[in-house]
Amino acid sequence: MPRPVVKEITFTLDGREITAPEGMILVDAAGKYGDTEIPVFCYEPKLGQPVGACRMCLVEIEGIPKLQTGCSTPIRDGMVVHTQTQRVHDAQRAVVEFLLINHPLDCPVCDKGGECPLQDITYGWGPGTSRFIEPKRHFKKPLELSPLIAIDRERCILCYRCVRYSQEVAEDYQLVLQQRGAASYVSTFDGHPYVAPFSGNIIELCPVGALTSRAYRFRARPWDIEGAGTVCAGCTAQCNVELTVRDERVLRVLSRDHSEVDDGWLCDKGRFSYQAVHAEERITQPLVREGAELHPASWEKAIEAAAAALKKAGDRAAALAGGTTTNEEAFLLSGLLRDKLGSSHLATGVGGEQPLDVVRALADPKLQATVPDLEFAHTVLLVDCDPIDEAPVWDLRIRKGVRRHGTKLVVASARPTALDQNAAATLRFAPGGAEGFLVALDAALSGDAGNLGGAASAAGTNATAIQEFADALRAGGEEVVIVYGDRALRGSAGRALLNIASRLNLANVANAGLLELPSTPNGRGLREVGFAAGHGPGFSTISAPGHGAEAIASGLASGDLHTVWLHHVDPLRNYPNRPAWEKALGTAQTVIAVESQLTDTVREYADVVFPAEAYPEKEGTITHPDGRVQRLRQAIGHPRAASDVPGSGVRALWQVISDVARELGHSAGTAIAGAVVSKRVFEAVPFYNGMTLDGIGGRGLRWQEHATFEVEQSDPFVLAVPASLPAKGESELRLGTFRPLWAHKDVDLSPALQFIRAKQVVELSKADADARGIGEGDRVEIGNGTRIPGTARIRAAIPAGSVFVAEGIAEHNANVLTHGIVEVHRVGPGSTDATSIPIQSTPAVEGRAEMPPSAGLPIPPREVT
Amino acid sequence: MPANIDTILFKDIDEPGLNTREVYERRGGYEMLRKALKMEPSAVLDEMLASGVRGRGGAGFAMGRKMSFIPKGTMDKYLVCNADESEPGTFKDRELMQKNPHLLIEGIIIGAYCIGASKSFIFIRGEYDYVADILDAAVAEARAAGYLGENILGSDHTIDLVVHRGAGAYICGEETALLDSLEGKRGNPRLKPPFPAVQGLYQGPTLINNVETLMNVPVILNMGGAEYAKIGTETSTGTKMISISGQIKYPGNYEIELGMKTRDILFDLGGGPLEGRTFKAWFPGGSSSPVMPLTEEVLEMPYDFDSIAKAGSMLGSGAIIVFDDSTSIVDVCYKTAHFYRHESCGKCSPCREGCNWTEKMLVRIKNGDATPMDLDIIESVCNQIMGNCLCVLGDAMAMPVSSMIKHFRPEFEAYIEAKREEAGFGVAIPQTNRGAHAGPGPLLQPAQAA
Repeated sequence: MPRPVVKEITFTLDGREITAPEGMILVDAAGKYGDTEIPVFCYEPKLGQPVGACRMCLVEIEGIPKLQTGCSTPIRDGMVVHTQTQRVHDAQRAVVEFLLINHPLDCPVCDKGGECPLQDITYGWGPGTSRFIEPKRHFKKPLELSPLIAIDRERCILCYRCVRYSQEVAEDYQLVLQQRGAASYVSTFDGHPYVAPFSGNIIELCPVGALTSRAYRFRARPWDIEGAGTVCAGCTAQCNVELTVRDERVLRVLSRDHSEVDDGWLCDKGRFSYQAVHAEERITQPLVREGAELHPASWEKAIEAAAAALKKAGDRAAALAGGTTTNEEAFLLSGLLRDKLGSSHLATGVGGEQPLDVVRALADPKLQATVPDLEFAHTVLLVDCDPIDEAPVWDLRIRKGVRRHGTKLVVASARPTALDQNAAATLRFAPGGAEGFLVALDAALSGDAGNLGGAASAAGTNATAIQEFADALRAGGEEVVIVYGDRALRGSAGRALLNIASRLNLANVANAGLLELPSTPNGRGLREVGFAAGHGPGFSTISAPGHGAEAIASGLASGDLHTVWLHHVDPLRNYPNRPAWEKALGTAQTVIAVESQLTDTVREYADVVFPAEAYPEKEGTITHPDGRVQRLRQAIGHPRAASDVPGSGVRALWQVISDVARELGHSAGTAIAGAVVSKRVFEAVPFYNGMTLDGIGGRGLRWQEHATFEVEQSDPFVLAVPASLPAKGESELRLGTFRPLWAHKDVDLSPALQFIRAKQVVELSKADADARGIGEGDRVEIGNGTRIPGTARIRAAIPAGSVFVAEGIAEHNANVLTHGIVEVHRVGPGSTDATSIPIQSTPAVEGRAEMPPSAGLPIPPREVT
Repeated sequence: MPANIDTILFKDIDEPGLNTREVYERRGGYEMLRKALKMEPSAVLDEMLASGVRGRGGAGFAMGRKMSFIPKGTMDKYLVCNADESEPGTFKDRELMQKNPHLLIEGIIIGAYCIGASKSFIFIRGEYDYVADILDAAVAEARAAGYLGENILGSDHTIDLVVHRGAGAYICGEETALLDSLEGKRGNPRLKPPFPAVQGLYQGPTLINNVETLMNVPVILNMGGAEYAKIGTETSTGTKMISISGQIKYPGNYEIELGMKTRDILFDLGGGPLEGRTFKAWFPGGSSSPVMPLTEEVLEMPYDFDSIAKAGSMLGSGAIIVFDDSTSIVDVCYKTAHFYRHESCGKCSPCREGCNWTEKMLVRIKNGDATPMDLDIIESVCNQIMGNCLCVLGDAMAMPVSSMIKHFRPEFEAYIEAKREEAGFGVAIPQTNRGAHAGPGPLLQPAQAA
């Protein structure tokens, strides 16, 4: 979709000629090009069209008799604007006076005091005294708008930002204004808590102290704190954040607006899970197993133990990396295993391994779409992924494109997504049918009727549906962005995806292409620096490829592999097939874990535990799914151990790996500073060549814009029809899993987020539920042999025959179910779970997803902390 | 009514059964629709432009020009009839719709044909439930007769009409708030521009006109625009429905030729003041128009858009509210402020906070807890509201309130003193510096005019 082309024009601002892009909003143009601040409250371009409600930005424009709102006036050539006349001053002063008459002026006890636009504008533009002696408006205060947000309605100046955000950006439609006139107040429609995946953004939007973070309330004043910019490593979206730090503690997470990454929004997981950094449960010193128990140990001892185990294992060592692993750590660790021990058993994702030529082809810069493309493309295709759970801010980005730029969204997935309501076309296939779908879509696009029918039925759908979907995909325009999860890439799925890209000619269309949603936050970076079984740094060919994750598990279980290094990875929680991993870790001679919490893996199986750094403590680089290398900067010091002996606490992980390498006599894998490792990474990966930490800076660098990466072009692959999904009996259901946004160990440790911790839900269709006598909120059991309990959620958009359960959660995790065909039944008489409150259990239209699917969680009221 | 013209909208108004299609057609109804469908839409528009008829709802914007702003071409366009008649003192549309609904429907169909709209709405205030029932019945009759629906009267035009009942908010009479309300949203005014003619209902170009304005459409077509323009004054053409209320002998709806002398309206039509009273002041055009004392000079003023504007008030919706010497102007002022405070939607700060503040000060005056200085503050607050709001509701409070203080300040001051006595607050202590902001001056002085 063509992005707006701007023309430069000249206008007069307070007697000076200013040149600025045509059509720019006057407030922005005056600030950016005219060095003149026009005060605003309600204006926030990220919220869409200006509303002109606060009237703070009134200016005089020659030729227009009335004062005009600068926030809604686009600049035109030859326009003459006055912002400093008496008339303008009087109007602005009047507005400040009006806004303050019902404001409590409790700045000394207000959290916003010192960083409050209302304070600043009052100082700059307001009257010094008030003429208002009437009683002020009173509300009960403060009230909890949600367990995360406190609302003080007396401080509210009714600028509408939060309401507009809820209505037009997050589209959760929960916040509204109640009453009218001077009695108006912000509320949810029926007074229920405002719980949504992105609710915390309204705290940052609020220009006064009306909406405050309950986790931050009364923790610090603006003059106590420092801001530290870094990147949130909580998920793949890698939003740019500014951490509020006081006395080496992270107290708050704010957005550091980067339009090409996050568009200035954060999800609540990213905003509030920082509390896990300072949780008491955190492991802050090395642990070594002696006998049956783990004991605190010195660093020397732990490093020796790890090195000895690795030395003994030699090429029978393996490593898994995930979570917040940086490029530097992955580079050192993979170098240690590959170069010193001769093992390439390195795995990151939980998806199937793809052949190297496919991996390379998928990394083709010509095929690479960027995050802004999600907003401006003609069509966005989601393949078996739900951004709200995997990269939440992308969900907002796609909504923005659909709402403001007319982007067409088409969704093909097994589980209904949060974006279904905004989609022009949706296609449901059976759980596990992504490969079949991709092959069928390729066939539909190429007109291969034979493959189409076979692959469509292998995906659990039919040829007509796929053909209609393919037509919808083509109808929008040539700029197509395909978003896919790397877990979908099994078997021939990667080749099918490349075929689809070539049939849509994505390589030759600007602003179009593929965008991967890796299953770990730095999945792309790990792969690019060579932490992979099949290739070295920069996708280089290696002589002896190693095992992927599944093969590592079976190798450990059979005794072929001896030692495994788990770097920020908890296979028992985050990898499929928990029984297999229990067996693998139980059989392994040595399990070395880098972990911050006493997980099951650590408690039961780890022999050496290195305390993991939290992302605010890390230094290094990570790579965004669109190729943007971003920098993590250390915001706080590493926590000390309980003994408080200097040096006994958490250490930088690059240093730990380097120390282990030194112990093993691998001098090439040692380093004296984190920046040295970064430099080595930039040298080792051809397309990172020339990067420097300074160059990456606070905004990141997309390597595709600076380097080349040649991929051999090939003709479309000839694909075979994938094997059909296993047959299921009449009373059985096909099992699909999803990882809820809140399924994260940091959420479990953050007090503020306890109320929303992901619990097991069993999502099934109305028909299947009725057939089993299951009602919304009932306790049910699901499984085949092994069973897990959960709460039933009935979703109209799920096709009959499929059932979905959550994975990656702490209790009753789906990965204990190893069979793809399951049975579901209700347990206990009248066993309705009273704590389960579906947000909207009855969708308005059959076949549409309810909103928002990840938020339907219990919300008990909580005390103000 | 002067003898030189007949009543137009009130012609046959009391004919029994005029609200049925049968009687309406017997009186020549829907002939103009047939005539319009034989004309080009642009020819219809030309007649409207020639007539010079100005909007009867309050703002007095020329209807023909408004129609001409609607873009040409095929797109979803809408015509909305504003029947939210909620201005205090206005009750003309009620009688017109109640007694002659088909004239309105005919006007809407012709208007929709003229701008190329296929969907039209009557947004009627919820309190006019029984009138809405009459309209519903009339719309059903018109649809059954083929005046509404697909291919009206065998032409290839599709025009449908929906009668929508409002939920009872003054602000929904403001055209953009009306559109929001019609769309099912909270009735809040929108930022203008874009104006409804460009981006209105469901983002489509929309023509919004008052009931009386649209009822004039068939009339203009019948008489011819040029002929219609001969009625009234040069800039205020046609007849106007006025609703006279207040302390006067014969309150009610009247149809006058614009330009009629105020004295004739108040004394000939209205019958003059009640026994033993004298006129004191009036709202010339609804409660949002600045109040004028009824002096000899004002009584000589012709009642038309421009003369009233020149005299410092406005014709508005033509709702004349008269007060005599038995009424305290402070009570009038308080009632007005109270009404607008209550009806302010709360979207923009000056109106939301200013109306609230003004009312509170007036309450204080009534309680005897005020000083004459408060009058300065009220005036200043009204000045701060005027022209700074999103829509005109704030101005609608500020204009009458400040006009009352301007014209009747001695009465206010006497009232304040008397009430202070009564409440036992004693003589007011003069306060200085409360009438103006005591804060620092502007950062930069405005550039001196050369």
